[in-house]
Amino acid sequence: MQGMRKLLFVFLVLFMVGTQAAFSQASASSKVTITVYGDQGQNLQPVEWLKEEAAANGINIEVVGVPFTSVYEKLKTEFVGGTGAFDVVIFYPAYLGEFAEFKYLQPLEKLFPVHDPKMNDVVPAYRDLYCTYAGSTYALPYDGDILNFYYVKNIFTDKSEMAAFKAKYGKELAVPKTWDDLLDVAQFFTRKKGQMLAGKPLDQDFYGFAFLGARGFAYAWWANIFGGYGGAFFDKNMKPLINSKAGQDALTFQKKLMQYCPPDVMSMGYEELKNAYLQGRVATMVQWSDIWKKANDPAISKIVHNAGISQMPGVKQADGSIYYRAAAPVGRVIGIPASTKHPKEAFWVASKLSLDLSLRSVSSTQTGEDPYRISHMENPKAFEQFGTLAEAKEYLAVVKDNLNHIFPDINIPGSAEYLDALDMAVTNALSGSASVADALNSAASTWDKITANLGASNQKKIYNAMLESWKKYGFWKE
Amino acid sequence: MARMIRPATIQESEKRFARLLALPGMIVLILLVAGPLAYMLFNSFLSKTLAAPIPPHFAWFRNYADLFSDGRFWNAFFHSMIIMAVGIPVQSVLGLIIALLLNKKFPGSKIVIALFLIPVMITPVVAGFEWKIILDNRFGPLNYLLGLLNIQPIAWLAKPVSAMISILFMDTWQWTPFVTIVLLAGLAAIPKQIYEASSVDGSSASETLWRMTMPLLRPMFMLVVLLRIIFIFKIFDPVQILTAGGPGMATETLSVLTYTIGFKNFNVGMSAAIAVIQLVIITIIAKIFIAKVMNRTEGRAK
Repeated sequence: MQGMRKLLFVFLVLFMVGTQAAFSQASASSKVTITVYGDQGQNLQPVEWLKEEAAANGINIEVVGVPFTSVYEKLKTEFVGGTGAFDVVIFYPAYLGEFAEFKYLQPLEKLFPVHDPKMNDVVPAYRDLYCTYAGSTYALPYDGDILNFYYVKNIFTDKSEMAAFKAKYGKELAVPKTWDDLLDVAQFFTRKKGQMLAGKPLDQDFYGFAFLGARGFAYAWWANIFGGYGGAFFDKNMKPLINSKAGQDALTFQKKLMQYCPPDVMSMGYEELKNAYLQGRVATMVQWSDIWKKANDPAISKIVHNAGISQMPGVKQADGSIYYRAAAPVGRVIGIPASTKHPKEAFWVASKLSLDLSLRSVSSTQTGEDPYRISHMENPKAFEQFGTLAEAKEYLAVVKDNLNHIFPDINIPGSAEYLDALDMAVTNALSGSASVADALNSAASTWDKITANLGASNQKKIYNAMLESWKKYGFWKE
Repeated sequence: MARMIRPATIQESEKRFARLLALPGMIVLILLVAGPLAYMLFNSFLSKTLAAPIPPHFAWFRNYADLFSDGRFWNAFFHSMIIMAVGIPVQSVLGLIIALLLNKKFPGSKIVIALFLIPVMITPVVAGFEWKIILDNRFGPLNYLLGLLNIQPIAWLAKPVSAMISILFMDTWQWTPFVTIVLLAGLAAIPKQIYEASSVDGSSASETLWRMTMPLLRPMFMLVVLLRIIFIFKIFDPVQILTAGGPGMATETLSVLTYTIGFKNFNVGMSAAIAVIQLVIITIIAKIFIAKVMNRTEGRAK
């Protein structure tokens, strides 16, 4: 009898545990799981922030992160495979045209009622060039990437430096507004360990300028100069213009600048370039907008409250004005794959990330996201944690100005291949493996082959449609 | 009356049974090896891209013609050849020296051999990251050590020549233990009596090495060289992590180029063609090596 009771008790416990487990499982499975894809690390942080609210709304978020330079190939492979593994995809808008042409992504307008993403609040150029394709919205903005010019403030205001600069160059030391001015400034500030800088001896070599030279996005740092020289990727018949005089002059100029850059500049990616500036090893550099926030974070920066940001240098025109263009590589957007089984839930997640969490995201040092909404630009208080209100206003004004002078990436089918060939040419010439002319001519010839392989007439049609948007914002000169 | 079973019938039935036994293996082989290989060959004759919505069509040998006239292909081929031409001899010599040293029994020799195998056991991705840190311009231990010798820091991965030297360093670090262990196995297989006889004949150490050890190690050398050639054709992860083929295309190898064409440009036809070319080259080299080893083995047997 005693034994029977024990057995009954064990069964009862097992029954209760089993019921509890089954209940928990049923509760979890009643939630819709949305898988979010993007480049791993800081740029997926906002997705982590959303998890709790999503769970309260019956959505279980799973995250799949891939390396920064592998976003295209991993996503494309998944799209080609058609497994429907992702419900929300964060990618670079250079691939928008290709993904939309293949119908990998779905147009989003019909999903707007789920959670209005307030597209009118998005900086118009960014919205129309990076989120729209063939008249439809295929993506929501997530990261307003634009390249800006950075400098270390106190060395530009130091009296001894100002006097020395004037004595050497016969002009005032100022934040360079033209590429030629930058060459002088970069040369002036390049110094050896032990020499004086702003009245203090240097404990390491110091360089006048730095850029991103590692393979992947190096082409964009050349594109800033190329854009300022009046360059364009193609003419309207899709004849490559990268090897034009503007292209060759820009690359020759960049090679000249290289002598005032750190010796490892050709292996500098995002992190290395950021660290060179934050650790006070360079006087100036060009980088994405998030660097200003990081430069004012004492945990990682030696130039807190000393990080200056300015419009991209340009080229002085006959009328005295300065023509400048800021390249916008990466610039993440969020799309909803056509294959998702939960478009509404996926869109809710996308819209929450693009709108509700966006101000927190672009004003945090935990992420790499940059402002892209008008409401971001008009909210300097959110950025006050990084400096004074005046500094925050200046930061937002510069970002907005550079966004208004964007040199957009091409976003037609094959853009990854076009840009890779260009990146190869730029890094080949800068590393001395090929002459400027040979490198750019070779890339132009490769571009012609790519256009032919992808169907020249269709490529031209898509490219000309893209030009219409560019014309609208004055980024295309006939 | 019991039927007579002829020996020929027995043989045929055994053959049929043997074929039946081999059938599952053959099916697996066809599905996993021959099938994909044939599909790759088929694709290499197509103009097929996944970067634009255009249907594939037969281009016959155009992909091959385009590759052979493309400077980037020859550049990548050249880099793979450099790694072979420099890496294999250096690793073979180093591997032999270390194998001869480790072949002498000493206290703790087994532990030393086990430790020595660590680089070859590390996955190439991890090795790539390790070397990226070692070669870092500012914080890398290599430049620190050079600094102690008053040598200025070298931006190893930022210049074409030093980037290629870095790849060779890393490849040698990772694969010399492999050469060593294969040669060590070869040394262990040489009968001791041969050395005893050589000693009785009054041969010097160098004579024993060149006249006895080296000829007997020859098949092992051939094997190791063949395997290294195949591995170098496939070298991808460490190059991708260390330099991504850069600066420019200064360290781009055939496998990195294949990956770029296939999975960055999604040019299926072209990437299949380059893979076929590599397969043909490796097969020819393997044939030559195997034939040489077989000839020698058969020669000795006669």
